[in-house]
Amino acid sequence: MKNIYLITKREFLTQVKKKSFIILTILAPLLMVGFGVLIGFMFKANEAEYHFDVVDKSGLFAGQLKSTKDITYTFVPANTENSLAKNLKDLKGTDGLLIIPELKDTNFDALENGTKLLTNKKIGMDTKVAVSSDLSNILKKEKIKQLGIKEDRIVNLDKNFKLISQNVTESDKPESDLAFGIKTALSMGLMYVVFMFIIIYGVRVMRSVLEEKNNRVVEIIISSVKPFELMMGKILGVTLVALTQFMVWIAMSVTAAIFLNTGFSAMQKNIPAGEENMMKNLDIQQIATEVSHILLDMNYVGIIGVFVFFFLFGYIFYSSMYAAIGSAVDNETETQQFTLFAVIPLMLGLYGSFTIMNNPDGPMAFWLSIIPFTSPVAMIARIPFGVPLWQILLSISLLIASTLLMVYIAAKIYRVGILMYGNKATLKEIWKWIRS
Amino acid sequence: MLKAENIKKTYNAGKKIALQDFSIDVPTASIYGLLGPNGAGKTSFIRIINQITQADEGKVWIDGKELNPEHIRNIGYMPEERGLYKNMTVGDQLLYFGELKGMSRAEALSQAKFWFEQLNIDQWWKKKLSELSKGMAQKIQFVVTVLHRPKLLILDEPFSGFDPVNANLIKDQIIRLKNEGTTIILSTHRMESVEEMCDFVALINNSKKVLDGKVFDVREQFKQNVFSVVLADTNSDSLEELTRKYQIENMTTANGLFQFELKNSENQNILLQDLLKTGTIRTFNEKIPSMNEVFINAVQS
Repeated sequence: MKNIYLITKREFLTQVKKKSFIILTILAPLLMVGFGVLIGFMFKANEAEYHFDVVDKSGLFAGQLKSTKDITYTFVPANTENSLAKNLKDLKGTDGLLIIPELKDTNFDALENGTKLLTNKKIGMDTKVAVSSDLSNILKKEKIKQLGIKEDRIVNLDKNFKLISQNVTESDKPESDLAFGIKTALSMGLMYVVFMFIIIYGVRVMRSVLEEKNNRVVEIIISSVKPFELMMGKILGVTLVALTQFMVWIAMSVTAAIFLNTGFSAMQKNIPAGEENMMKNLDIQQIATEVSHILLDMNYVGIIGVFVFFFLFGYIFYSSMYAAIGSAVDNETETQQFTLFAVIPLMLGLYGSFTIMNNPDGPMAFWLSIIPFTSPVAMIARIPFGVPLWQILLSISLLIASTLLMVYIAAKIYRVGILMYGNKATLKEIWKWIRS
Repeated sequence: MLKAENIKKTYNAGKKIALQDFSIDVPTASIYGLLGPNGAGKTSFIRIINQITQADEGKVWIDGKELNPEHIRNIGYMPEERGLYKNMTVGDQLLYFGELKGMSRAEALSQAKFWFEQLNIDQWWKKKLSELSKGMAQKIQFVVTVLHRPKLLILDEPFSGFDPVNANLIKDQIIRLKNEGTTIILSTHRMESVEEMCDFVALINNSKKVLDGKVFDVREQFKQNVFSVVLADTNSDSLEELTRKYQIENMTTANGLFQFELKNSENQNILLQDLLKTGTIRTFNEKIPSMNEVFINAVQS
């Protein structure tokens, strides 16, 4: 045990002291944020605001055609049409002239065909679609009015139907859309974290094994400690490295969240009176309370417990596989063929789990979260939706058993593999090592 | 100190035999040479002692006890394929290996300081291994091997990679350790280092022990009773008589000196008397075969 501790300590300290680790840990979140801002900025930069003058001879649109964020409509008197059209080429401050003809005898077809948008520059598809939909919405209302239906009824026609669903076996409260959305997001988030963690740090274990093998330092260590101790120390050391990185990132995001939050409430106070209504629809604070309420309403202790368990065991399961791979080959280029064994089941678990979102109680969800190869990913994807206890227990016991088996098998491969220099082991040879 | 009996080791499910019926007896406080070409089975045997692998058959005893994990702390092993962590500092590295061998940190530190003074390398403590030259790294490797004061030291090709000055430095340290009571097994295919340092030797070829014993005895066993002689002021009659009586080879004359080799299985004093009659003896010495010759002879016979 003391040897495992020493090896874990060394593995942890050397990896954490590396410049690349420090840089990655500190810079990765900043880079992510920076990248997001950059992408947002790029979208923003290509967005154009258009200013159109509108000559509305029909009189239907005044007051109805409202400016949006991207398009500003300015109604101008009909008698300016000719001079505007003539000078449009040189006019600044306006990008086009929308001419709507008179409506004669409620002939909407003629109006539609007679409407023209003259522009002095190229206009994107989005803008054209936006203008035409703005116009057709108003026309639609107008047409319905012609049929003799009152305005308040029209508003009523457009109302969306909200389906309230409730699972009677789980709780007495109906489940809101928001709750389902949050659960889906949580499930996806946790699943990705586990998936990325296993792959990134599994490969790190493999690299570390290969490094010792290539350095030939392994022969000295193996003359002092058992191969199993070396392998376990390595896996645990890398786990600690990963946890450290997580802690730093969590601390950073919490700090950032607190900082942004205070900034947000300050911003809210400064909102001019006129815009208050707009904010009300969005009421972030209420949503935040609701989100945290939903999160706390779930069995979060259970979720965290299950998450930590599947996370650790899944990681040990796969990284012992990676350790075995590292020991069986001679350099990193040769690892690819073998790493497929570790990556494919994880990918299956990940992509299979997307179907879990649609049907959390389906057979796919069940099997993926029971079979140990995929359960670390799939069970975590399922857990926010609630999983029957017996399934969790079954999955946990299967995962424990297969993790022990995998560590045992990996230790056998590792024992022989680390002392083989110069050639890559074949699958047949590896099978022989396992059986010996 | 170390005794191995009828060791057999095979690889690939018995298809490749690495060692067969291999027995040696290494006395305490001696330097024991394991001699043999590459692939003879030396490293396999060393790995068995280090408990990296297990023998298929046979037993090994250290100090009268059958080989067990407790022994590991008393063994220092320097493998032929040298290796240390490249991006760890020399000091951290030494403490780590010391602790793995069961030393306390303080103990490891004081031993490391001692060796750094012995080898004149105390300014390297904070350097990373990747900053050191190959010869420097070799010295660190040696310190790693001896740090925990092992009773049994196993050195696989200890001088490869050292320049002559440092090789001598290490050689002196090995001999000092032997004089302090450490038993040393030295595996090499370079025969001349065996002649210089080893007290005992075992020759291994094709997974079998060809012969073993004291270096002196082994060389005696293979000597051909050939003497090389240089005479001055020779009496030509007596010389003729000498050539009739003995089998003389490689005779050369230069500057009035006769130089030749002759074979004599009888008493040397009689030969000397015959030589005295023939001329003035400038040189008389027995040709004892080098380990190289012994090895070639042993393998061929």
